[in-house]
Amino acid sequence: MNSESSVVAKQTDAVSDTESQSLRTRDQLAPADHLEILRQLYLARYFDVRLIKEKRRGRLRGTLYSSHNQEAILVGTLFGLRPDDWISPIHRDMPAFFLKDMRSGWNNPDRKGMSVAEVCAQVWGKEASPIRARDNWSHIGSLDKGIIYSTSMLAATIPVAAGVAFAFKLDGQDSVVLTYNGEGATARGDFHEGINFAAIHKLPLITIIENNQWAYGTPVELECPTEDVADRAKGYDIPGLIADGQDVLDVYDKTMWAVERARRGRGPSIIECKTFRAYGHGDHDDDRAMRYRDAEEIERGRSRDPISVYKRYLVEAQLLSAEEADRHTPENRDALQVTDDDFPPEVIAALKEAVEFAVSSPLPEAEEAFRWVFAEDAE
Amino acid sequence: MSAAAAQAQAKNYLTALKDALHEEMERDPNLVCMGEDIGILGGAFGVTEGLLDRFGPLRVVDMPISESAIVGAAIGLAMRGKRVVVEMQFIDFISCGFDQIVNNAATMCYRSAGKVNLPIVIRGPSGGYGGGGPYHSQQNEAWFAHSPGLKVVCPSTPSDAKGLLRASIRDPNPVVFYEVKELYRKRDIVEEIPDGEFLVPLGHATIRREGSDVTVVTYGNMVHFCLKAAERLAEQDVQAEVIDIRTIVPLDEETIRTSIEKTNRVVVVNEASRTCGFAGELLARISEFGFELLDAPPVRVTRADTPVPWVKPLESAVLPSVDGIFEAAMKVVRY
Ligand SMILES: Cc1ncc(C[n+]2csc(CCOP(=O)(O)OP(=O)(O)O)c2C)c(N)n1
Ligand SMILES: [Mg+2]
Repeated sequence: MNSESSVVAKQTDAVSDTESQSLRTRDQLAPADHLEILRQLYLARYFDVRLIKEKRRGRLRGTLYSSHNQEAILVGTLFGLRPDDWISPIHRDMPAFFLKDMRSGWNNPDRKGMSVAEVCAQVWGKEASPIRARDNWSHIGSLDKGIIYSTSMLAATIPVAAGVAFAFKLDGQDSVVLTYNGEGATARGDFHEGINFAAIHKLPLITIIENNQWAYGTPVELECPTEDVADRAKGYDIPGLIADGQDVLDVYDKTMWAVERARRGRGPSIIECKTFRAYGHGDHDDDRAMRYRDAEEIERGRSRDPISVYKRYLVEAQLLSAEEADRHTPENRDALQVTDDDFPPEVIAALKEAVEFAVSSPLPEAEEAFRWVFAEDAE
Repeated sequence: MSAAAAQAQAKNYLTALKDALHEEMERDPNLVCMGEDIGILGGAFGVTEGLLDRFGPLRVVDMPISESAIVGAAIGLAMRGKRVVVEMQFIDFISCGFDQIVNNAATMCYRSAGKVNLPIVIRGPSGGYGGGGPYHSQQNEAWFAHSPGLKVVCPSTPSDAKGLLRASIRDPNPVVFYEVKELYRKRDIVEEIPDGEFLVPLGHATIRREGSDVTVVTYGNMVHFCLKAAERLAEQDVQAEVIDIRTIVPLDEETIRTSIEKTNRVVVVNEASRTCGFAGELLARISEFGFELLDAPPVRVTRADTPVPWVKPLESAVLPSVDGIFEAAMKVVRY
């Protein structure tokens, strides 16, 4: 199911109804954009590696859902968005909160994405978190930055995202909403209800499916009856694209195709990004996941690290020299084996500062537990 | 004003709700209505009649049969600065949107440290006595009263229906709004309603009948049952004070306490089933703040712990009755 030939076959299928629209938005990327994409991949990886280590040392509360090996989906879907577009990431997408609109400048305080520091403050459960750490990990949002607050309930943000998309239509605004889900979550009623509504009204809603082959301990065949998860789109008469989730530019091209289509009022799309979950469902599951998935499957699933896939492209396209490509090599390695030396200094600096900020932020005071059950200014 | 003119202006419960929606839609261009069959049809009961023609399909949205998406989309719209009124075709079907209400809308303000307010009203027809059977008779407000972050409202008169709906729409919090469908078109329950900025603030009970011998605390359709029981009690020289709490959350404990200080006896009446119904919560609170005020053990009158059956003899057997309320009050008074 994850073979490259089926990916290619479906690609042509899915876009046979295109309106002479380019599937190669990548051609418009400048060399500097490519280097930025690579930096973002590094940052997402470094963030995950750092959290895995912190978690192992018992410094973090809650569960880490590693995004290792799935970073190209986040960078590729987010890179081409406009600042006014909205997103709703899931549990596995922690880096998405800072990757959004990162192109506007990592340290640009006005960019429409969270700072790495804010995200770290959330992970460390500190007062400086955007939600004062009142809910855990990925359940953060910002109306100002266009990030929908999610709950734990898988797929529940799809109807909410459809509502945001409806508001765009109502306000005559051509922004789009990207909502992320695992392949397992596509079995939920909210997935159907939300996309059905969005398709009826041709809302600018794009559903990114991170098909990492596993939903906790259940393989995709037991979650979804169609050959590809993207086939679910047929029931709504909307495009169901398949992207190679290890290839950041393929993800980028498919996303931009769907985004431009949505901006023109043509309605929603589903983009299935084929990938593989590198570790356990959460860090608590790392050991068991070594048993319910066999070694061969894991090795195959991790054999196409998104960083090396991209580097290969860059070198072939002469956007990066082989020497530069080899300067930092965190790819194809286990999280616990990579060290700071494997990442470029600007990536290390960005996270170091953010973690220091998070660690130094105080915990919220206990009295806060009783606040904000209802809107306070109206009381 | 002549009697005929006054008569002409008297509004039933349904018209009062309809007027509230029209007036609020007119007043606030950011208000959107969503629900099943609310536009072209004008609502299963007609509460949303005329809205589509007046405000168009982007503000009066005929939704697919997707309760979860209806509430979810309302949350999304509210995140973009809209106010939303959602209709549940029958409040029984609210269970299909339950997760979005209790896990998403109810907790949003809390989870966002006060940054996100969701001004959403989820309204719909509720209650039994119409032969609706298990899925068209529920009074399931306790589910939502049990979910911090939601306000819960249940008007018993046309003017309250209008004033409370308008106040609910303007409230910055999600509100679950129970309309009593048995009252929608009841001929003997009509009222003249003041024009203009008429609001009934949430969280304020009202005394429907004054009395000194026993306090009867209730809301919704049961208010009318209790008033009938009070008339019969009066024939026995028992003066019942009937309190209509009007909003379940937030609850006006003060009005209840003041009354019990006077009567020292209390009966609590709700239409929902007994175990963990809101009557139980009322009794618990009264016991906590007023145990020493009471001269008799408090009593509640509720539906039996059964679903609401369909045919008349069965339905009547499980739902509260005027007789039952009368007897409960006599028991408390005679204790
Ligand atoms: C409605 C709901 N049911 C169950 C869960 C528990 N749960 C959390 S993540 C998960 C698996 C999700 O798999 P998938 O959607 O494929 O995403 P992935 O974790 O693989 O990225 C489950 C069952 C939940 N969060 N929500
Ligand atoms: Mg999965």
